[in-house]
Amino acid sequence: MKKHSPPKWALSFLQFFYKERYLEQIEGDLYELFQRDGATRKAKRRFGWNTIRFFRLRYLKGLDDFEQLTTLAMIKNYLKVAIRTLVKQKSYTAINISGLAVAIASALLISMYIFHEKSYDNFYPNVDRMYRVANGDYGRWTPTLLAQTIEAELPQAEAATKVNGLSESFLKVDDRGILQDGGLWVDENFFKVFEINLLEGSLAHALTEPDHVVLTQTLAEKFFEETSPMDQIIEIDGDPFKVVGIIADPPKNTHIPYKYIVANPVDQDGTYYWSGNNTFTYLKIKENARPGDVSILLADLYAEKVGPDYIEYTGHESFEALKKEYPNRNFAFTLIPVLDIHLKKSNFSLGTQGDEESILIFSLIALFILIIACINYINLSTARSAVRSKEVGIRKSLGSQKENIIFQFLTESMLITFISVVLACLLAVLSLNLFNELTLRSFEGADLLTPNSVLVLSILLLIVGPLAGGYPAYVMSRFNPIQALKGGTTKAGKQTLRNVLVAFQFATSVFLIAITLVIYFQVEYLKSQDIGIEIKNTLVISNGTQLEGKYDVLKSGLEQKSYITHVSKTSNVPFYGFPDYGYSVPNESGRAFSPYNAFMAPGAEKVFNMELLDGRFFKENFLPDTASIIVNQALAKNLGWEDPVGRKLERDDKIYTVVGLVKDFNFTSLKRDVGSLIIRYGFPAYEIGIYHQNYILVHFSNNNLKKVFEEVENEWSKVAGGYPFEARFLDEAFQQQFESEKRFGMIFTTFSGMAIFIALLGLFALTTFVLQKRFKEIAVRKVMGATVSSLINMIIKDFTKLVLAGSIAGVAAAFYWLSDWLQGYTTRIELSWYLLALPVLIILTLTWVVVSAKSYRAAVSNPSKALKDE
Amino acid sequence: MKNKSYQLGELEELVLMIVAILNEEAYGVKVMDEIQHQIGRKVNISAVHTVLDRLEKKDFVSSYMGGASAERGGRRKRLFRITAEGSRAITYVHETRNELYRQIPKTILGYV
Repeated sequence: MKKHSPPKWALSFLQFFYKERYLEQIEGDLYELFQRDGATRKAKRRFGWNTIRFFRLRYLKGLDDFEQLTTLAMIKNYLKVAIRTLVKQKSYTAINISGLAVAIASALLISMYIFHEKSYDNFYPNVDRMYRVANGDYGRWTPTLLAQTIEAELPQAEAATKVNGLSESFLKVDDRGILQDGGLWVDENFFKVFEINLLEGSLAHALTEPDHVVLTQTLAEKFFEETSPMDQIIEIDGDPFKVVGIIADPPKNTHIPYKYIVANPVDQDGTYYWSGNNTFTYLKIKENARPGDVSILLADLYAEKVGPDYIEYTGHESFEALKKEYPNRNFAFTLIPVLDIHLKKSNFSLGTQGDEESILIFSLIALFILIIACINYINLSTARSAVRSKEVGIRKSLGSQKENIIFQFLTESMLITFISVVLACLLAVLSLNLFNELTLRSFEGADLLTPNSVLVLSILLLIVGPLAGGYPAYVMSRFNPIQALKGGTTKAGKQTLRNVLVAFQFATSVFLIAITLVIYFQVEYLKSQDIGIEIKNTLVISNGTQLEGKYDVLKSGLEQKSYITHVSKTSNVPFYGFPDYGYSVPNESGRAFSPYNAFMAPGAEKVFNMELLDGRFFKENFLPDTASIIVNQALAKNLGWEDPVGRKLERDDKIYTVVGLVKDFNFTSLKRDVGSLIIRYGFPAYEIGIYHQNYILVHFSNNNLKKVFEEVENEWSKVAGGYPFEARFLDEAFQQQFESEKRFGMIFTTFSGMAIFIALLGLFALTTFVLQKRFKEIAVRKVMGATVSSLINMIIKDFTKLVLAGSIAGVAAAFYWLSDWLQGYTTRIELSWYLLALPVLIILTLTWVVVSAKSYRAAVSNPSKALKDE
Repeated sequence: MKNKSYQLGELEELVLMIVAILNEEAYGVKVMDEIQHQIGRKVNISAVHTVLDRLEKKDFVSSYMGGASAERGGRRKRLFRITAEGSRAITYVHETRNELYRQIPKTILGYV
């Protein structure tokens, strides 16, 4: 019979897993049994089986058994010593950890923000084939016919859909009604482009009829608490719609934050011409289609369909001639990848707009703050190295190699970084609300726990630890043991390097303060500008067209109140946004231009306190004035009219005569120059349709804004028949335009505050060590007759030089960046010297306070204490 | 330590007794064989090892490495002997059992 030998796998299994101490006896016994069983196949099986039966915790190798014992013991020792050192130097540890924790927390939050911004719309299936069709390079609006024409004529198109919104509508179920934003109006192809799953209902039958609506889950629960929402009727702006589907709420990272999707079929639109741009168009191309080919076809489509209309309007001979005259304009439909919308083409977003620049700025800020915190660590540990030179000396004389010393100090920095990371997570969670306010996003604690942020934290841990601890470890490992043991006179790192690092910290701080200040002053300057009309004491009521014929009732009701001075109507309100209309000048071969256009009822000029330079305003109930227009100075200047009153303009085959000239006032944004403006007569008959005067202006002379608001609301509810009251004070709308600047300023204030905090922490600790090193010198000086103030001066002088040098560098960088930023504003402040001196002064003052507070204690202490300690 | 009580599991008690009987000749396989011969009970080798380790931890037995042999693939034996504490434990267990047995009425035992 063939002799078997014990199974090889069992032997290696035993040797790999089992402790040395048990291995021999177990193997021995197993061998013995194996031999006794006759070394047969069965014995072999039994050997294997018994091996597995021996798999018990107590026999298994622990950590101690795997590596060489000394290495492990050293690692244990490093950790132990590191913990003891950190505990011993409590204030030093606290400063390092708090600085690093703040820095890591901001890095964590910022990385979360960046990941979020980059993730927009990536959840749609086949999003890489989804495109928005733009009109030219920047035009958001496209002709209504575009989507259906693309579907019919473009072979590469899988589906195209036309989309409008997001809009606010009055939704009503039974007798419960609310004004609801987030309404998206789409044709039946919408779900072919945007592959959204229906929770209830079927895709084939959703949005196919003009009275269909699909609700998001949240909205469905809001209206239909008990009954199933499917097939229920919901009234939207007075028309009945049937709920044909329920979809999940869109994720936070969508560029279309819809809340309900309403059917708006192609054949319901009355605008069948190509010159009007009324909808957004989305397109999904086929799997193997090349976007480049599609772009070419879209450009051809533009030339074929829009071109003829366009030249008719501009008066050019041919489309080619038109293109030649405006070589910088792209007369074509272009493709914008849906993935690019949020960050790169944010004006195409229907929700919150992203900003590529803010991502860059945020990353830079995070990097700066991390560097400042690392510098703190480097400075403090090299400064402290004098104190620890004896320790290094003893280690070296006991046989430590350079690597051992380096490893020891790296262990310390890794430990500090690790503790900081843990603290940073806590800090990040606590500051989420503030961060959301800064970024206009709605992050939750769970967003911090994604694999991405864990990755970021591990990377930070692996980079910050060695980055901060590397140089001090290197310096200390090079100490000469004899010198180190003799008197600790070994040089504690290079003084110049430490100085450069401190200067850099303050350069960064000053840079951030300077930017914060200039943004603040610029916004204040903009606000203080004379905009040319009065915006105070005016309440703007929205949805005025809902009153139908009862506007006059409201008006007379309001005018009875003594404090209400004027009531009027307008189609557009300054700072709410103005549309532009195409006009042409008759008798000048149809020269066309597109000024801003608004319809205002007589009396609006009194609300706004417009200044009339020539001619007259509109007359009350004067039908001929529907052919009159009032223009502003900018328009007259653009057309080269010396004397505009009496001149004529043409639109849609109608002639309008200028009857008045008003002084320029700002109505879009103070960031831009005043544009050409045409004011047309807001006649009651124009209440409906696109000329509707949706806004009711109420001018008052009363400081109790709350009372005004409530009483106007009262009057509204008397005539509005249950339609909700929505109103805003005009100066609030004016302030709104500075939102982005304000947020920008807030971000810089927050982060520059953090940078300064960390830098001052470092300065504080550094002062402490400088004083420790020089305490004998200070005592001797005092004994020889130095005054307290002269001693403080001596310490301050050194730091002042550093901070000043850093500040000047920081200011120079800020100046460079800010002059660029201010170019974006037509009205802007000058970067005067005192604006730039201010941050330097702030930082210097803070430095002096910190340093002198610390050195005062040293200077007033009894010199005999310091001197007798030898 | 007169009144000290000893807690021993049933298999522990058996193995401890076998170690005492074998007297310096006890090791894993031998103990296993002995249990089978004397009592006719089959025990897995790993269970024997576990019990021996446990007894050693309780200081009832001590061990030392013995000689190697070819049939053991050149591996040495770990030999066990009973300690003074182990002897006390075995005596204690034996006496308490006897005492309990003595108290059982003879009539009952007769009918069994």
